[in-house]
Amino acid sequence: MRIYIRVWLKIPDAEAATVKNTLTRRLGFQNQISDVKKERLYIIEVDSGDPAELAKNFAKELVNENKESYRSSFEDLSFEDGYVPIKVNLHIEDGEAISTQNRLHNRLGYRNIRDVKRATIWKLYIKDDNQEEIAKQITESLLINPHKDSYEILSM
Amino acid sequence: MKIAVVQFPGSNCEYETLVAAKNVGMEGEIFRWNKPPEELSYFDGFFLPGGFSYQDRVRAGAIAAKEPVIKTLIEEAENGKPIIGICNGFQILIESGLLPGTGRVDMALAQNVMVSRGKIVRRGYYCDWINLRHDSSSKRCSGSFIIDRGIQLQMPIAHGEGNLVTSTPGLLERLNEENQIVFRYCDAQGKDFNEFPVNVNGSTESIAGICNPEGNILGMMPHPERAFFSWQLPPGDTSKYIGESGPGRLIFESMKRYIEVRA
Amino acid sequence: MLKIVGLADEKVESNLRSNDIGMTVQEARSIASILGRDPTLTELFCYDAMWSEHCSYKSSRSTLREFLPTEGPNVVMGPVEDSGIVAIDDKWCVAISHESHNHPSQVLPNEGAATGIGGIVRDVNCMGAIVVATADPLRFGDPFGPKANKVRWVTEGVVDGIWQYGNALGVPNIGGDIVFNSSFDDNCLVNVVSIGVVRKNEIIHSKAPQAAGENCYDVILIGKPTDSSGVGGVTFASEALREEDEITNRGAVQIPDPFLKNVLFKANADLFELVRNLGIEIGFKDLGGGGFTCATSEMGAAGGYGMELDLDLMHKAADFSPEILAIAETQERFLLISPKSLCAKIMRIYNEDWDLPNVYEGARASVVGQVNTTDRFVVKHKGKIVCDVPIKHLTGGIKYQRDEKPRFKNFVEPDIEMLEDMNQVLLKILRSPNIASREHVYRYYDTEVMGNAVIRPGEADAGLIAPIREEKFGIALSVDSNPFYGRISPYWGGATAVAEAMRNVAAIGATPWTLTDCLNFGNPEKPESFWEFRESVKGLAESCKKIWLKGYKNQPVPIVSGNVSFYNESPEGTVDPSPIIACVGIIHDISKAITMDLKEPGDKLFLIGPRFDELGGSEYYRTIFDVSGANVPIVRFDLERNMIHAVIDAIDQKLVKACHDISNGGLACTAAEMAMVRPAKFGFELNLDKAGESIMRTDKLLFSESSGFVLEASKGVEAQLFNLLNDYGLEPMEIGVVTEVQRILIKRKGITVIDLHLDDAKEAWDKGLGEALK
Repeated sequence: MRIYIRVWLKIPDAEAATVKNTLTRRLGFQNQISDVKKERLYIIEVDSGDPAELAKNFAKELVNENKESYRSSFEDLSFEDGYVPIKVNLHIEDGEAISTQNRLHNRLGYRNIRDVKRATIWKLYIKDDNQEEIAKQITESLLINPHKDSYEILSM
Repeated sequence: MKIAVVQFPGSNCEYETLVAAKNVGMEGEIFRWNKPPEELSYFDGFFLPGGFSYQDRVRAGAIAAKEPVIKTLIEEAENGKPIIGICNGFQILIESGLLPGTGRVDMALAQNVMVSRGKIVRRGYYCDWINLRHDSSSKRCSGSFIIDRGIQLQMPIAHGEGNLVTSTPGLLERLNEENQIVFRYCDAQGKDFNEFPVNVNGSTESIAGICNPEGNILGMMPHPERAFFSWQLPPGDTSKYIGESGPGRLIFESMKRYIEVRA
Repeated sequence: MLKIVGLADEKVESNLRSNDIGMTVQEARSIASILGRDPTLTELFCYDAMWSEHCSYKSSRSTLREFLPTEGPNVVMGPVEDSGIVAIDDKWCVAISHESHNHPSQVLPNEGAATGIGGIVRDVNCMGAIVVATADPLRFGDPFGPKANKVRWVTEGVVDGIWQYGNALGVPNIGGDIVFNSSFDDNCLVNVVSIGVVRKNEIIHSKAPQAAGENCYDVILIGKPTDSSGVGGVTFASEALREEDEITNRGAVQIPDPFLKNVLFKANADLFELVRNLGIEIGFKDLGGGGFTCATSEMGAAGGYGMELDLDLMHKAADFSPEILAIAETQERFLLISPKSLCAKIMRIYNEDWDLPNVYEGARASVVGQVNTTDRFVVKHKGKIVCDVPIKHLTGGIKYQRDEKPRFKNFVEPDIEMLEDMNQVLLKILRSPNIASREHVYRYYDTEVMGNAVIRPGEADAGLIAPIREEKFGIALSVDSNPFYGRISPYWGGATAVAEAMRNVAAIGATPWTLTDCLNFGNPEKPESFWEFRESVKGLAESCKKIWLKGYKNQPVPIVSGNVSFYNESPEGTVDPSPIIACVGIIHDISKAITMDLKEPGDKLFLIGPRFDELGGSEYYRTIFDVSGANVPIVRFDLERNMIHAVIDAIDQKLVKACHDISNGGLACTAAEMAMVRPAKFGFELNLDKAGESIMRTDKLLFSESSGFVLEASKGVEAQLFNLLNDYGLEPMEIGVVTEVQRILIKRKGITVIDLHLDDAKEAWDKGLGEALK
């Protein structure tokens, strides 16, 4: 069973703002990009249990309610219209995902956890018709370093 | 002779780097990121200091690498002027393609992974003094110009992402053949040991610093400016308080000598 | 307006509570009577913040005034502004500030601890100083107790918050301590100390400068756009925590940003340079507890002026209501009062040169009002006056005389027998989370940034930095407080905290030069807690006075900064009395400073400080027998002073190569640590026959935490050292020798008591803390 938890900041996201700033002021995308947002995605595989209940419990651990909101879904990950979602994750070993898994499994006693993966979802609001090509250019020129990151353009 | 220490928002080692450069007799100043980049041409060499430029947003060094000052630095480097990037400065050099010098992003500095007896014992940020060995020959590169091959240097590291990885086929072989691997982490006897705490961050082949093919650009994770005076050394090193200089001084003197020879 | 006048108490109470105002009905009535009308909501929010325990010290002020020595020959500024300042020499001063961030860190450890650092470095920077170091005294619950999961979560988050903020800011963390104790299970203590250096003639004050009112100086707000974060933060820090409140409390924690702060500090440096070059006096203050209202009104009142402010001119993250804007605790902000002639230059520094709007969305410097010669604090919002109060009434706060009553105690000395296998006893103690090496934590801290570190965490009892390149002096910093002693005797808890913090800096050769106190206690409205507070303050004040400033007989080591944190309690109980002390030491030549590691085989080891049967609260009693005992170590003031001053002289005269003070774990742990700490090359052999007290039982001799020092004497000058110590009336005991063999060997009357290989001892000591936090 797979649980997706999408987490985003309620306060201004300085990192997304910096990406937008760099794309428009430094990399020449000022006519193609209208906004950039960001989410953190957890993909958690569990053996058993009520997914809704588990998602709520995991969120307590993974979401900083002081500044973040989240949404969970099961089996299926879908995104809203209006932006191109790009999933970036490490293709080398992800130490933070491993420690998250260990924390949930060992310290908090969720023995039914099989795997935890972590990714960043960049939400690119693209004005241009050629969305996929622009998204690819942006991703490869700024959002990833291919020697450690992989990416996937979702729901095109 | 005048050098610039290029400052980005979030840099935090620019002042001590400038102190070190001046101390070996170079003139210099701190060059703020939003100054007219063409003014960089008045300088004979450059330091990219440590810190957290743009708070490591996206990836360490990724945002700074796109700044106009870096575009200008690329031109200055093509003219043969020396650049030394320390810690975050090294990360910026890699993200901008200035290192290893192919013009492409050919490697990454990933999160530190401390491996001992085959097991991961710790990850991420780490601050400690380590031993370095100079694995290139003297005169090969600007930042180690006066350092003989095999010389050991003690310096501090303080970073979360210094684990050099690459998926470019044949790159490591080429770097080795071309003497571009300038510094490696080693034990107190100068021997390799590819595990923590000697290889302190899990870096491929214990690499701590590399240069470009031309040798004018050096990037290194350890901080020579924090090992510049003998009193900065930790106890147990007999050279603490003996003489005035620490091993890091050699990096700055190398830069100066390199500029003099080039002139 | 909020209706108060003419209403019955219950109705006033419910009006206050329904508007989230925490003040008492009497307080609200006194405000209405001063104003001669019903106060506005904004006015009540402003008073509520300013009259909170955190801002007004309403319960603690009279006790602090009664006991604490705050003056001395080296004091440039006592505890009146954001930092205290003492002179190092004719030219340079050190500024120091010490605060708590306890409640927020319990609820949101990472942000709470980070905000603690963020706030304290602003306190030091706003005096015109370069911030050169921080240190964090931390108290967490029992990592093996019933709340272990929560305790580990809090600990991990706090440590992460500290390093993530401090490292990015670029200020080295050179000290601090960590104590685990079940009284902190639901209330961690996260204190933070920061020091800076400033030239004596370049200190900037946090008050409206002379003639500011007559010349209508600008009031300028600098930094992050104001948002609603931390609303209720100050009052929140003054109330006991209940677990069910945690979700709502989370909104009271502020979001810190070290990146913006890093740039702000550099811009501030340009501002300071500008006004220095022009010879113009400005007022500068950080925004902390109480936010905009606190910073503006305190600066105006301190200068004897009034102020008119317009919230519409403030840069903000969204259109918040006036009472939120007035007291929100948005981080990374400063307040500046300066002449109009400088305005354009100042705007340029922040908004163009350092490009704040592009560094952080919405950040900038904005003129938000003017100083005037009235005695009113006036705030406008959307063309209306939302606050118009007498400024000195607002900042004057209120005072309460709390009742005190000794807490009922039933501590007894245990009847225990010495165990057979003392090797295992020592190993168990070395592994315990309160004794084990702190390396697991301090490797996260950038101790090297700025390039000033001379002695780092772990290398000696105190950290040492050399912050000014062209000067030879160094500044040492150490912190201390032992909650186990405080629980048994708050008086001796206070006295020993001061004594040990001073011993720590003396052990590297620095002279204890000034102190700060952060007083962490329970609810002061409970007489037992208030009694504990008063006892601790009496005890620590006594130590300051009787272990006087070296070279100034009978002049106390001054306390120039501090903080009081009450309400550190939950329904389960109150924290153990924790008067946490930081001590700044000065050494005139850093090349004379020494570390604790053993230096050379054959060197003789000396003990000063006789052992007493006072193991109450000791590591030995607690870890081995799970008892607390009753006889805590006391401070024998004359002996303590003589030891500290003698050690400083001995190090200055190069008679000592390594030195470590005796505290937790007693003589055995002290000596073991000197061998185990890097480079860990040598062992030692001790002979307890020479440790005096022939009637004392061996285990007590080994583990008594009576104060003292172990010294490694330089070869050939042992007689000189002996004479020096004798001249101070001390009786040094030659207890052993450094050995090439890497063993920890302790004998008494020809019988081996402890014999451990150094590697085995080190294994336990190195791993203990990591295991406790897994």
